Amino acid sequence: MTVLYIVLPLALVLGAGAVIAFVWTVRSGQLDDVDTPARRILFDDDPAVVERAGSGSDSGSGSP
Amino acid sequence: MSALIAPACVHCGLPIPGGRAGDYCCAGCEIVAAAIAEHGLERYYALRDDARPARTTSASYAELDDPAFQRVHVEATPEGNRHAALYLEDLRCTACVWLVEATPRCIAGVREVRVDLGRSRADVWWDPAAVSLGRIAHHLDRIGHVVHPYRGAEREALRRREDRTLLIKLGIAGAAMGNLMLLAIALYAGMFGGMTAADTTLFRWASLVIALPALGYAATPMFRTAFGSLRAGRLHLDLPLSIGILAGLGWGSANVIRGVGEIYFDSLSMLVFLLLVARWIVLRFQRRASSAAEMLLALTPSRARRIAADGTITELAIEAIAIGDRLAVRAGETIPIDGVIAAGSSAIDSGLLTGESRPVDVGPGQRVHAGTVNVAGPLEVVATAVGEDTRVGALVAKITALATRRAPIERLVDQIAGRFVAIVTIGAALVFAAWSLTSPALGAEHAMALLIVTCPCALALATPLAVTVALGRAARRGILIKGADALERLATPGTLFIDKTGTLTEGRLAIATWLGDLDARPLAAAIEAASAHPIARAFAPTDGTARSTSTSTSSSSSSSSSSSLSSSTGAWVASEVREQLGHGIAGTVGGRRVLVGSPAWVRTRSARDRQLDAWIAEVARRGESPIAVAVDDRIVAVAGLADPIRADARTALAKLAGLGWQVEVLSGDDPRVVTIVGHQLGLDPARCHGAMTPELKLARVEAARARGPVAMVGDGVNDAAAIAAATCGIAVSGAVEIAIEAADVYLRSPSIEAIAVTAASAVATLATIRRGLRISLAYNLTAGTLAALGLIHPLLAALLMPASSLTVLASSLRSRAFVDRSAA
Repeated sequence: MTVLYIVLPLALVLGAGAVIAFVWTVRSGQLDDVDTPARRILFDDDPAVVERAGSGSDSGSGSP
Repeated sequence: MSALIAPACVHCGLPIPGGRAGDYCCAGCEIVAAAIAEHGLERYYALRDDARPARTTSASYAELDDPAFQRVHVEATPEGNRHAALYLEDLRCTACVWLVEATPRCIAGVREVRVDLGRSRADVWWDPAAVSLGRIAHHLDRIGHVVHPYRGAEREALRRREDRTLLIKLGIAGAAMGNLMLLAIALYAGMFGGMTAADTTLFRWASLVIALPALGYAATPMFRTAFGSLRAGRLHLDLPLSIGILAGLGWGSANVIRGVGEIYFDSLSMLVFLLLVARWIVLRFQRRASSAAEMLLALTPSRARRIAADGTITELAIEAIAIGDRLAVRAGETIPIDGVIAAGSSAIDSGLLTGESRPVDVGPGQRVHAGTVNVAGPLEVVATAVGEDTRVGALVAKITALATRRAPIERLVDQIAGRFVAIVTIGAALVFAAWSLTSPALGAEHAMALLIVTCPCALALATPLAVTVALGRAARRGILIKGADALERLATPGTLFIDKTGTLTEGRLAIATWLGDLDARPLAAAIEAASAHPIARAFAPTDGTARSTSTSTSSSSSSSSSSSLSSSTGAWVASEVREQLGHGIAGTVGGRRVLVGSPAWVRTRSARDRQLDAWIAEVARRGESPIAVAVDDRIVAVAGLADPIRADARTALAKLAGLGWQVEVLSGDDPRVVTIVGHQLGLDPARCHGAMTPELKLARVEAARARGPVAMVGDGVNDAAAIAAATCGIAVSGAVEIAIEAADVYLRSPSIEAIAVTAASAVATLATIRRGLRISLAYNLTAGTLAALGLIHPLLAALLMPASSLTVLASSLRSRAFVDRSAA
């Protein structure tokens, strides 16, 4: 079973890679808020809104 | 078209009150709906899952652009943009997130808005050259989210670092567990199916390489608490846990190096992982409860109006105010600083500081305090102390100190942990001694096995699991509990002190009795409408009956004196109103002199009605405060003012008594009134205390603590010290921030029923904890006996550990705490 001497360290390296990736996701704040992104996925941006928003911003800034 | 049957508000769906024209129930909904339509954001209505009336203010938010504010709350990004965190009110659902995050489409110059729903926080990035923060805040306000600066950002950042570290440890422990399990399965399979010595050694070394760094790092929270408890001379459950983990890691590593003996890394990794999961869940619940409580509105206003030397008035953030500044405070506003009145005279309601809600007259040269309310007229105040140096700031500091000094209760698990450590160490020593008679190596092997298999993982899980289940269910019912301790504190019944106002009663005055001339009621209402005094509000025709009475009376009397009616509105209008603070109010309504106030004061100024004494006696008998009304110098009526008792108070009190709680009332009100309210609720008059100052409340609570557990329920600043001193403090809905901060439990619903539910659920939770502890101790006893006899096998240990933990989990989920019986 000499193959174990190659595969086992390799598996450890891969495992370590996954752990490092996880640490990175936590450090970069991706897991700080796990509630809002689940809702954000529901927004599909219809272009009509974006189009109207251009004119809306003008009238918006004009109002008191 | 939606208003076919009954006209409903287009924005929130509530019925439109009669007499209001248009499609909206209130001005708030109308403004917000207009803002939404203006920016083409109607998709909001498709996304939202609940509709509520919108709240919006007319605030300019100019203070957000003040340099002093910007220094504290705004940071520059490398791209040249600015970033600030805002706290938004009424962030509830997906649609709110969408609406707020759509801000960049509505206002040019806003780069991005990111919402954190759990924290009600919005992070805003904008281009300072194109738009100002005040303009963005104004927009957010107009779409229905009142904006506050995000206070406590540093505390939040600190917590986030802690949360991230724990999550990383949890992830590492989980990864280690998964890999160690795979290696362990190979080793166990090899044990039965045969495996070359070289391969076994390879797998054992691989296990060591994973276990030692990963578990050594991931278990540091346990080691730290164990070490801390040793230094403090108190026993904590983390101590036996740490002993087990360290013994397992040390002994396993030694065995790998020696090449003989058992390793327990698989069981240990599971142990560490499960413990960290429990910690993580508990922390998340506590964070949610405490941040929800912390972010409620502050005691003192966040804005102030400074009068410059040339007389111009600018609205500024409170942080920008310095000692010596001259501020304008309008009538009805909260005073933002401690200071001396420079001009103007008014009355000050110091209820926040003293609990005494009767306003006191003030004039130039007198001191006023931050957090008190300017009731009567405009004032100019020169600041003498700001922020934490104010009297309310000092009070807050004192209450915080009291709350943190609260002696931690000897928790059930920690009591057990003490005995546990002793029994296990003595047991391990005995096992070592006994087996050493045959072989010292065997003695060490079995003693170590005992230490490792008795590591009380399920014991450590029992409390967090039961508490988490309870806290989660409680939060869904609007009861926020700040920690496991609070539930354990409430489980033992003792004395329950209730602040009458706002807890047993509805916390507002209303006219309960009207004796005498009914026609005088609208006249009195018209006079009192000119005052902001709490008693005056009782006269306001808020409910339907009062309104109909007042309109019908005014229309009938309008025939006799039509000149007294204001032609435009059809309501009475008072003129020449003069408020004699602490006594009453006088004025002219439609040419008739009207006096409303305390009977003694009115009596000196009016002719006595023969029935007056009988009326006052009748009102007093009912436990109401008498207010005399005189028209044209003749006393015509007496109003009995009372604070109506909450509908659910009586059943809730009976439930609490059934649990063994001794209920007492501590109120700042007149002792007679308190006794009568107590009588109506079936309470012993000897247990109803009136005229309590904050100091007396604190003294009562401290005296009762000598006799046993004390729970204090309250909502005001005057209760906060007593709340902090009690074994378990409870703040109810509408409570001021400091009372919530001092409390262990915050009830979002105003009902006292929730207190009874919480107390009953605390008992149920403690029963669940006990059951979990019994289960885990039974497992430990079995495993310990097997280890002592030398019969334990690492595979058996690896199976016992999850089995015990799963049983405890199942037991916790069966808890009856906070189960809504109506839903069950």
